Amino acid sequence: MDEPDEALIRRCQAGDTEAFGLLVKRYAGRATGLAMVLVGNYSDALDVSQEAFVRAWRHVRKFRGDSSFFAWYSSILRKVALTWLGRRHRRKETEPVEACPVPAPGADPAVLAEDNEQTERLWQAILRLATKHREIIVLSHFENLSYKEIAGVLEIPIGTVMSRLHAARQALRKELSDERP
Amino acid sequence: MSCEDYRQLITGYVDDELSVADRERLESHLRACDACRRELDELAAFKEHLTMIKFKEPSDAELERYWSRIYNRLERGLGWILFSLGAIVVLCWAAFEAIEEVIKDPGISLVLKVGVVSLIVGGVVLFVSIVRERLTIRKTDKYSREVER
Repeated sequence: MDEPDEALIRRCQAGDTEAFGLLVKRYAGRATGLAMVLVGNYSDALDVSQEAFVRAWRHVRKFRGDSSFFAWYSSILRKVALTWLGRRHRRKETEPVEACPVPAPGADPAVLAEDNEQTERLWQAILRLATKHREIIVLSHFENLSYKEIAGVLEIPIGTVMSRLHAARQALRKELSDERP
Repeated sequence: MSCEDYRQLITGYVDDELSVADRERLESHLRACDACRRELDELAAFKEHLTMIKFKEPSDAELERYWSRIYNRLERGLGWILFSLGAIVVLCWAAFEAIEEVIKDPGISLVLKVGVVSLIVGGVVLFVSIVRERLTIRKTDKYSREVER
């Protein structure tokens, strides 16, 4: 049976890199998917998600277990991604940070478990949303985080989670309905 | 409350995140409002529709590559710490020896002695200042503060 996160984290806090390796492998797919949504392409998503794991390791002793490991990791990943986007924005000053580039369909290796016409259409619609809507949709629907955990990751009040998620779902529904011929 | 206000609550309702009071308020409104009931059904169906998207689990080979890149960086981090500590010890020792040599050497003029000692002491002050700045940044670093959860 797989060792639970809590036990692995305790081992990590004692300096056990093997336990950290197990955690990394457990969440690598979800981490890369979330990073992909934030930074827009697969190879940057790999770099950003790995950098976030390195930072998570450095700070693992500070993890108190108030949220799940992945929610805690997501907040680190989001900051690494925002820093990375900020650097890229400074390099290309004409591009607003919020308007994160969307990967061209088919340009990156698939990050979706099921890759068919329907999921691809939905995925591309999500990637066309504003960053704040895109990230909350992913955290809620694909990462299954609770409102409390999402509030922690995005650093917003729980009440704002509900209103932002409402706006994000409306935007996604509109995006999908606009697409229909 | 308007229907638009209730629609935000519908979001919380389908996620099972409403307080008991809000849930009761919404359920009472739903009994009287066809449009909001339709919205609830549509949102529940939409949520179900979104479950078709799941992130791919990488293969074992991909996971090994992913982890080995992280592990190499963790190992390198330790290497840099040891290297930096060693460099500090060696540099301090060399600076101390150099100052001692210069001061004791009667063949070196006073002006040159002052110059060399200033150079070494200045280097040490700059080094300490940079280390202090880095430590201050580390204390106020958003990663350090925000990872405490």
